[in-house]
Amino acid sequence: MKKRTAAAAMFTVAILATAAYAAHPGADYIKENGYKGPETCEECHPGKAKAFLDTVHWKHASKVTNVDGLDPKKEYGMQNRIYVMCNGNDIVNNLKEIPKNPETGKTKFSGCNTCHPGDHLNDVGSKGAEAEKAIDCLVCHSTAYDFRKRKPMKDDKGRVVMGQDRSKEAALAIGKPTAKNCMVCHEAAGGGVIVKRGFSFTKETDAHAAKGMVCVDCHKAKDHKIPTGTDPNNWANDGVRLSCADVSCHGASPHKDADLNRHTAKVACQTCHIPRTGGAFAKDFTVWAQNPDKFYEPTTLKLEANESSPVYAWYNGTVANTPHFIGPKGSKKDGKSKIYPFKIFQGKAFYNKKTGELLSMDFAPPMANGNTRAGVESAARTLGMKNPEQVAKEAVPGWQTIYFASSHLVTKTRALSCANCHAPNGVLNFKELGYSDKEVVKLTSPELFFNKVAAKMKEDW
Amino acid sequence: MKAVVSFLVVAAIVAVSVFGFTKGAQADEIKMVGVITKIEIEGASAKTATATLKDNKTEQLVVITVNDDLTLDKFKDHRIVEGDEIRCKYEVIDGKNISRFFRKTAGC
Repeated sequence: MKKRTAAAAMFTVAILATAAYAAHPGADYIKENGYKGPETCEECHPGKAKAFLDTVHWKHASKVTNVDGLDPKKEYGMQNRIYVMCNGNDIVNNLKEIPKNPETGKTKFSGCNTCHPGDHLNDVGSKGAEAEKAIDCLVCHSTAYDFRKRKPMKDDKGRVVMGQDRSKEAALAIGKPTAKNCMVCHEAAGGGVIVKRGFSFTKETDAHAAKGMVCVDCHKAKDHKIPTGTDPNNWANDGVRLSCADVSCHGASPHKDADLNRHTAKVACQTCHIPRTGGAFAKDFTVWAQNPDKFYEPTTLKLEANESSPVYAWYNGTVANTPHFIGPKGSKKDGKSKIYPFKIFQGKAFYNKKTGELLSMDFAPPMANGNTRAGVESAARTLGMKNPEQVAKEAVPGWQTIYFASSHLVTKTRALSCANCHAPNGVLNFKELGYSDKEVVKLTSPELFFNKVAAKMKEDW
Repeated sequence: MKAVVSFLVVAAIVAVSVFGFTKGAQADEIKMVGVITKIEIEGASAKTATATLKDNKTEQLVVITVNDDLTLDKFKDHRIVEGDEIRCKYEVIDGKNISRFFRKTAGC
């Protein structure tokens, strides 16, 4: 009995050792030498830190070729964009200690780039050896990261720095990023949980998550460059694109049914397989409400994942970009567009009275005392605009509408079927999508699918 | 025939009473926003935890029992900590405030 127990124990240890080794071959090195940040990673992964500095996750910007009105030589992204989902950006609303609240005398740290995987001294887009040393590899790669350590604080020189967990324990739990690693930042983007993109990646809400997949199974990185879709509002990209129809995923003919496969020429996969959306649908940056802690916040109206309906539009991958609208371009006739679902968001912010351009905001002043025009003035000053005080004083409130891609909350079982679209009360407004009256009659008639659905009904029951 | 009708009437009354009672016993969902003053969780494998919230409106302390994996994970790795403001929905079941929704109000 003792022999059997000992053998079982040895077998278990061997399995665990193998598992640990399979998890990360460098575990012994880390155990022996401790974890010193990227220089430890570079022992086995040389050049990765330098390469990472050239990615969107570090720069929060890239050249953008598909959006109207942008300079093709410049880089755009969260670093410098002015739009109403955030209204601030990394430049005007940089992480800082905000002014004291006049009622409590208290201050706090706040800013757009709290999710940036550096130490803030080496910030968005920084370069060189110090920047490489500052990369927080573990926040994306460790499953044992202690988030008490990742907080802004002041160093002994009074500079605001972002803490990191560089413990051996966290370093020994590294691997391919889990969904949690990604969602640490992406879940709460835009000012709260399920605000910006309106989805949660759980087995209850997404078919891919239900299969045990994680974000990087689709967004599979090479040299830390992450493939993305062509969300009209997600401008910065690593130059690598991603589609459901990629050969390595579902291919161009994903259904057994040829009729369904014919749809893929004009209808994006998301249109049928992501019938619902959620998240924030409106936000007002011009008036901030006071919270019980006496600090101020803009008010956001939002719904949970799968609680709202998308809007459908033709999209050819190019984007209209005006002060009052950011959204898809495309048409039934251009030969490049497909019908996609979009999450709609409308935000209220200040506009330049003279130029009509949307103005950005430094959140520090309004967060402290509710004065939103002081936030506009501070941002205008940071951006080097002439007469920032005048710009803020004359600024005019207005709304901007943004179309976000709806690319998660994927479902197979609740996907739209024939009658969900091809009916007078279907989710697609064929008339608005550019179809003629004659085509609309044909597209909304049961004649299209009656025999097929009847046969399926008999088969199912 | 009379007996059948009487039986049906009695059965209907009993059914209404039973279903009425069941409905009455269902817990109502209570909504609140408050700041965490205390989190109690035992170890990395804990399947339940309690968080004490100070209700922003009433300033009363409310002890919430949290059982969902996503929130428990956020307690374990300290993405949710004392001092965080929480939007919460809970039901009172057997004297416990069972969380149905537990989210930080803040974002990036």
